[in-house]
Amino acid sequence: MKQGWLLIPCRHAHELLSERMDKPLAPGDRFRLWLHLKVCDMCARVERQMDFMRRAMRRLGD
Amino acid sequence: MDAEALHSTLEALRPTLLKIARLQLRNDAWAEDAVSETLLAALEGAAGFAGQSQVKTWVVGILKHKIIDQFRRGAREVSVEAQMQAAGAESFDELYRPDGHRVHPPLDWGDPEATLSRVQFFDVLQACVERLPAGMGRAFMMREWLELDTDQICKELAITPTNCFVMLHRARMRLRECLEMNWFATERGG
Repeated sequence: MKQGWLLIPCRHAHELLSERMDKPLAPGDRFRLWLHLKVCDMCARVERQMDFMRRAMRRLGD
Repeated sequence: MDAEALHSTLEALRPTLLKIARLQLRNDAWAEDAVSETLLAALEGAAGFAGQSQVKTWVVGILKHKIIDQFRRGAREVSVEAQMQAAGAESFDELYRPDGHRVHPPLDWGDPEATLSRVQFFDVLQACVERLPAGMGRAFMMREWLELDTDQICKELAITPTNCFVMLHRARMRLRECLEMNWFATERGG
């Protein structure tokens, strides 16, 4: 994928996916991430994995 | 539940509680303290436990409170390793090509419910968390197990918010790799 103001590489998308779990993203970042996830199946997969890891961690010891 | 039954249930839970407390505190003596306090509180509070949840869930909840209490009291000195790990370079260069795409595409992890119903999966999860560097592991456990917000974590570990986010991201990426390699890419997870 080309890079630019709107198009971000997967690496940056992963950083934003993580950041989003800890605080609300800035509007620009939110849009860039949303756009990236629309077109990148692999990062959409990582998004589901991040959610899954959170669920799993909350059940640690239960 | 009568006193004797509760006693033996708590005794049976002790190893599990210790394991998790160690993951969070990264210090055997502190973990022992937290678990002892927890079991004592559970015995004292047994009358108030109306069986509305599993004993285990109830006791793990007490353990979380005890650990957070320790933080609030400032009972434990701040570790410097967290600061060092946050500052250290770790770019995951081996995971990405220069264009920012992953070298290996992430695997499909399948049905989350099916995975979460496997006891063995949680053994692998614990082993992967244990493998995180101590400071990073503590920050990650604070966020994802104790469910503290990043302000509290920064304060407790005496690191800047930026370092806090960086460290949590690194922990998640490492954990993702570890789970993929040791569970999802193996027979057990497949």
